[in-house]
Amino acid sequence: MKSSLKERIESSILQRILRLNQSTFYNNLRFRVNELLENKKNPYKRFLDYFIIFLILSSVFILIYEVNHKIPKWLDYYDIYFVSLIFFIEYLLRLWLSSNLMSDISKEYQQSIAIGKPFNIWKSLRAGLKKKFSYMITPAAIIDFLAILPAYRPLRVFRIFVLFRFLKLLRYTRSINQFVEVLASKRFELLTLLGLLFFVTLTGAIAIYILEDMRNPNIKNIFDAIYWSLVTITTVGYGDIAPISDMGRVIAMAIILFGIAMISFGTSVIVSAFSEKLNELKEERIIEEINKNREFLIVCGYGQMTKMFFRQSKPLYHSYIILEKDSQKVQEAIHDGYDAIVDDASRHETLRRFNIKGAKVTLLCMSHDDIENIYIILNAKSVDPRIRVIARASSPKLISKYERAGAEHILLPNQVAGTMMVTAILNPTIYKAIYAIFTGQNVALIDEIKVVEYSYLIKKEIGSIDLKKYKLILIGIKKEITKEFIFNPEDDVTIEEKDILLLMGHKANISYFREKSLSKNGDL
Amino acid sequence: MSRGRIIFFGYGKFGYSIANELVEKGAEVLLIVEDELEYQSSLKDSRFKRSFLIDVTDDDKLKTLPIELEDQLVCLMDDDHLNVFLVLSLKALFPRNRILALSDSIHATRKLKMAGASQVIDLYSISANRIHNILNKPIATHFLEGFLDSKHEYSFREIEIPKGSFLHEKNLDTIDFRHYKIIFIGMIDTELANSFIFVTTGLEHKLDSGDIIVCIGKDEDLDNFEDLISYQEEPKE
Repeated sequence: MKSSLKERIESSILQRILRLNQSTFYNNLRFRVNELLENKKNPYKRFLDYFIIFLILSSVFILIYEVNHKIPKWLDYYDIYFVSLIFFIEYLLRLWLSSNLMSDISKEYQQSIAIGKPFNIWKSLRAGLKKKFSYMITPAAIIDFLAILPAYRPLRVFRIFVLFRFLKLLRYTRSINQFVEVLASKRFELLTLLGLLFFVTLTGAIAIYILEDMRNPNIKNIFDAIYWSLVTITTVGYGDIAPISDMGRVIAMAIILFGIAMISFGTSVIVSAFSEKLNELKEERIIEEINKNREFLIVCGYGQMTKMFFRQSKPLYHSYIILEKDSQKVQEAIHDGYDAIVDDASRHETLRRFNIKGAKVTLLCMSHDDIENIYIILNAKSVDPRIRVIARASSPKLISKYERAGAEHILLPNQVAGTMMVTAILNPTIYKAIYAIFTGQNVALIDEIKVVEYSYLIKKEIGSIDLKKYKLILIGIKKEITKEFIFNPEDDVTIEEKDILLLMGHKANISYFREKSLSKNGDL
Repeated sequence: MSRGRIIFFGYGKFGYSIANELVEKGAEVLLIVEDELEYQSSLKDSRFKRSFLIDVTDDDKLKTLPIELEDQLVCLMDDDHLNVFLVLSLKALFPRNRILALSDSIHATRKLKMAGASQVIDLYSISANRIHNILNKPIATHFLEGFLDSKHEYSFREIEIPKGSFLHEKNLDTIDFRHYKIIFIGMIDTELANSFIFVTTGLEHKLDSGDIIVCIGKDEDLDNFEDLISYQEEPKE
């Protein structure tokens, strides 16, 4: 039997939907667009945001300027076609991303097949489109839609929608967004207040209208009364409408007092909302700042080791953030001038807040508690195995556990200190030298000098460099090609680009030599 | 190498491993503990010369200890406060002995020094520096680990210039240490209370027999160098 036209159309639509849902290209595209528009951690999103903010501001400027001035044609075209087109595309993309129509229909089809139920494509489509429609009536989507309209020139009234372009900034500027979020957190209090305001304004308006409608020439209708009531209750008091009867004045006095109380209440609600959210907002900012870096450190805990680590490194070579569970310790860290937030590094969600995928992240587990350290390492490795971990272990017996957990570097403070102590006892005279070297003191700093492109050192033999002149000792050289470290290299070893020289000497001398080594014709 | 005995206070989290390492290296260790359990544990290990169980906060008890002038006093009590107190007591009772202490807290280092410790090993300072090295100087880290790991790839060595050595009266500048596969890093000034002078400070010196130089290198190369310098003339290869 020949299938009807309707059935053929249905089957063709279904086939297309199923094919699209399985298409890698389609899914990749969707993922990429989503990343660009919605993923705050995506480094490229920032550029898109700046671009849209620029479009908004320029278009608002054009529309305002246009009120009293003649603008060049190209600017008009830019506004009508370019800006609006971009906004239109953005609106469509957001609508596309709001729900996954293809996947929803495919899932429903597969379910129907599984339970042997006839599949109705129109019903699924309707449900999918309903989802899209629910997105379209969200405030953000309405703003996006209305922001496209000022481009429609025949209706000048549409120009008022330029305001919506301004509102679009909400989506793209974080501070306004956060302000709205803070207000939204006090929605109940603010709505109650608004309801009360509405009620009192209306009561005052009705009272003044009834009492002074015939007598007061300025109150001609209920709208005038509402206007007067609102102006009075908000303590603005233009004075264009004023009560003339004694009863009218009594009402005015009552609503003025009420107005003051309401304004104080409203202010306190907003202030308390901000003070409650302030820490959270600050933390968000710190995390956002750190996520902009290509390489950063996450330091777990603000204990003694962390303090010493930071004391030894001013200025820091790396961007960093300290995660500490104890809010008092966080306060201490902030007081000491470091960026710290209250959070638990052993939680999956905590580490997910960072841009682990896009940056090179190193985690420092400095706690003296091995169990906690290992838990944090496993957590970090489960979030992303690429996170490099430097951990502190309390005993050499635990090294295998740390290694199994995935730590790249394991530090044994007790062992190092023990070795130093034994040296100090048995070889007191050279102890000073060893201590200076191991603690990186200025007099005997061991440092690396990378041989950069165009460096004077390239193609030089080790023997031809007069390091004595710089009071430096060459400890070794790491060859870039063979990746081999040559301790105390022979005079005839040739230095090549990207090789790394390991030198010991006074900090100032090393810096001086480094500076010289960068030059093309260094006086070496 | 110091000749005196080592009077070791504490057999806890730090003391245990360090005391054992010292004994392994042939040092004569007298153990003084306060805790009964630690005392019992030290008795089980017969390698220590003697063990004493005393209250280290009691000066009268400390006075009775058989401490001689050449002995080094090592304070490794687990409790920071007690350690500082002990250093203070020992300094008062045995002012001329060398006192070493380990600081397990960033606040204790200074206090231990003020209390009179001749040498304080700051656990946090060393460790924090290592973290910096791991982060910024991977090659330096690898190199320094060569001194610490069990294989001891590299070592520091004090080498005394023997009588009649070809190095006698030679200027430091003229000696090519690289030729012997070792690195000269400084020398000990016996005239200046055995203090160490780094070559990187611009050291200029004419070597005499009895001078002590400090070099780093692989053990075999250091042994080799020590053998060679006993000759009157530089051996030709």
